[in-house]
Amino acid sequence: MPETTLVQAINLALARAMTEDERVIVLGEDVGKDGGVFRATDGLLARFGADRVRDTPLSEAVIGGISVGLAVSGFRPVAEVQFSGFIYPLIDQIANHASRFRTRTHGHLTCPMVIRAPNGGGIHAPEHHSDSPEAMFTNIPGLRVIIPSSPRRAYGLLLAALRGSDPVVYLEPTRLYRAAREAMEDDGKSLPVDQCFILREGSDVTIVTWGAMVVEALKAAAEWQAKGCSAEVIDVATLKPLDAETIIRSVKKTSRCVIVHEAPLTGGYGGEIAARVAEGAFSSLLAPVLRVTGFDTVMPLPKLENRYLPDAARIGVALDRVMAYA
Amino acid sequence: MTIFNLPDLGEGLQDAEIVAWHVAEGDHVVADAPLVSVETEKAVVEVPSPRSGYIKHLLAALHQRVNVGAPIVEFDDGTHVDSGTVVGDLSAKLPAAAEPAPTQTSPATTASVLASPAVRVLARDRGIDLSGLSGTGPDGTITRADVERVSSGLVAGEQKAGTPQALTGVRRSMAVNMAKAHAEVVPATVWDEADISLWWTGHGDITVRLVRAIAVARAAEPILNAWYDGQAMTLRTFDRIDLGIAVDFEGGLIVPVVRDAGARDMASLRAEIDRLKAAVRARAVSVADLRDPTVTLSNFGMLAGRHAALVVVPPQVAIVGAGRIFQQAVPGAGTVAFTHVLPLSLTFDHRVATGGEAGRFLQAMIDDLKQSS
Repeated sequence: MPETTLVQAINLALARAMTEDERVIVLGEDVGKDGGVFRATDGLLARFGADRVRDTPLSEAVIGGISVGLAVSGFRPVAEVQFSGFIYPLIDQIANHASRFRTRTHGHLTCPMVIRAPNGGGIHAPEHHSDSPEAMFTNIPGLRVIIPSSPRRAYGLLLAALRGSDPVVYLEPTRLYRAAREAMEDDGKSLPVDQCFILREGSDVTIVTWGAMVVEALKAAAEWQAKGCSAEVIDVATLKPLDAETIIRSVKKTSRCVIVHEAPLTGGYGGEIAARVAEGAFSSLLAPVLRVTGFDTVMPLPKLENRYLPDAARIGVALDRVMAYA
Repeated sequence: MTIFNLPDLGEGLQDAEIVAWHVAEGDHVVADAPLVSVETEKAVVEVPSPRSGYIKHLLAALHQRVNVGAPIVEFDDGTHVDSGTVVGDLSAKLPAAAEPAPTQTSPATTASVLASPAVRVLARDRGIDLSGLSGTGPDGTITRADVERVSSGLVAGEQKAGTPQALTGVRRSMAVNMAKAHAEVVPATVWDEADISLWWTGHGDITVRLVRAIAVARAAEPILNAWYDGQAMTLRTFDRIDLGIAVDFEGGLIVPVVRDAGARDMASLRAEIDRLKAAVRARAVSVADLRDPTVTLSNFGMLAGRHAALVVVPPQVAIVGAGRIFQQAVPGAGTVAFTHVLPLSLTFDHRVATGGEAGRFLQAMIDDLKQSS
């Protein structure tokens, strides 16, 4: 079976959802004729027509507003934002409207829309193109926040998002678009959007991570295995609502926890997970819960990008630190 | 100025060790909020603040042993108008420059022991006091291996094998109480066996049956469910049985009390015994659960041994021991039958109870234990 890249998996999920449900509308800058800045919507215009694949003006606020209007009118919009750094004007529509329709209308209306955006750095892009703003969205009640880390999970989670009735912020790890590839079927099977995935079992430490950092975490776990450190790796995948139970159960087993994310340290979602672990697995902890994250600075331009991004070596330093607590 | 003295903690306990301060000098505390935790011979007890107010001085150091009635806290009545709340009084407090600098950490938050939560749980389960240990982990943190070493009898760091260690906690309590019992009580013991073949099938709830038998025996000879004050030479018998049950755990021996044991049905007895055992093993047993037994049961047969000369802890008058069940050959008419018997020991204080009373008490137990249900 030929291998599918993560961006191809997203394209497959979009086409599948548009085929099975004609209410699904794709919109965004250059999503039609150009097929999207990363070609995630490639071929959709030809297949589904200009009524369902709409190029929009260069205005994220407009994309957000149109999506909210479509969603509450019975459509299922899936909007593409070209880079997560461009998503900030759209937060008004998400925080003040999309996430509130359920409570605002006492459950009469929902706002089933998906905002897709590439997330994080590692592709040597200019400013605004490498942000990881997931923690902002996790602090907004009424939203699902999903970050896939493999083609299969990208496909299954996006299908679930498109079939559900909630507003979803779906952040795609940019540097895995073509780097992550695996054999997979376009079988229409969705994956649960309220569960973590245990990708590797271990007994000494739990590494909790998501997005592009999953690859680094798995690499570190494999390298440190040789040093006698058995690491369990959890891909959070759906950050909100958080499946804390799986994480806590794992930490109760391993007694140590390292959280890895690309976003800056302060106010990052790792803090939330560390707190959940402290609350739920306190008496099992042998070592402080450590976070390996980006730094509290603007994501640097390409020359220093690799210094900023956590990698297997930095994760390994944290593993050594927690393993010192025997 | 008001001095707060360590209150009477009950059980005739004379002193306690300060194990945690929940306030620091300069703190405001409201009435009934936790003030200090002290470890008596039996349990850790949280002492609530008797009043609202500012703490002027802590008069006892962490890990110091303090006698009941000795001063432990001085409240400040002078400069602060006590509003009863923290918020309402902040403005009055802030200008007082003589207060401790904000960077000073309070004794309550100063971790005198460096250990992770999991290691603390392990130490608690093993009954090991971490305060005397030096750690081999990062920054001197005590590791699981350090606890295991001490637990297995080896010693960590600079501690040398055979160095005298002060008894603490439960074991210290045992030393005090046993010496007192030995000095005071005149013990005598009777031994016998109860034929339990009618209901014992290799399993069965021995403890619950023993409790019922004690209740029946008390009705026959009330004098063994009593307190005797040797100095005043007064005897006080009880209709109600508050039964102390000896529970062996890794930290030593603790005797929680089943209240009104004679009035409970079997299910209630089992539930209460399970609750108390779990509390003992979690070191979470409350002082109320340890107070004032009227008679004690030691079911040592679960470990080893048939009969034992037990120790009566005054003011109690008696203690019943149950040994390991064994098979006994009983001669019949030209044949030999085998029965399961439960060995019983009854130790009593002969200053106040007679051998006849003890014998009738024991026989009443045997008769009840024979019953098929």
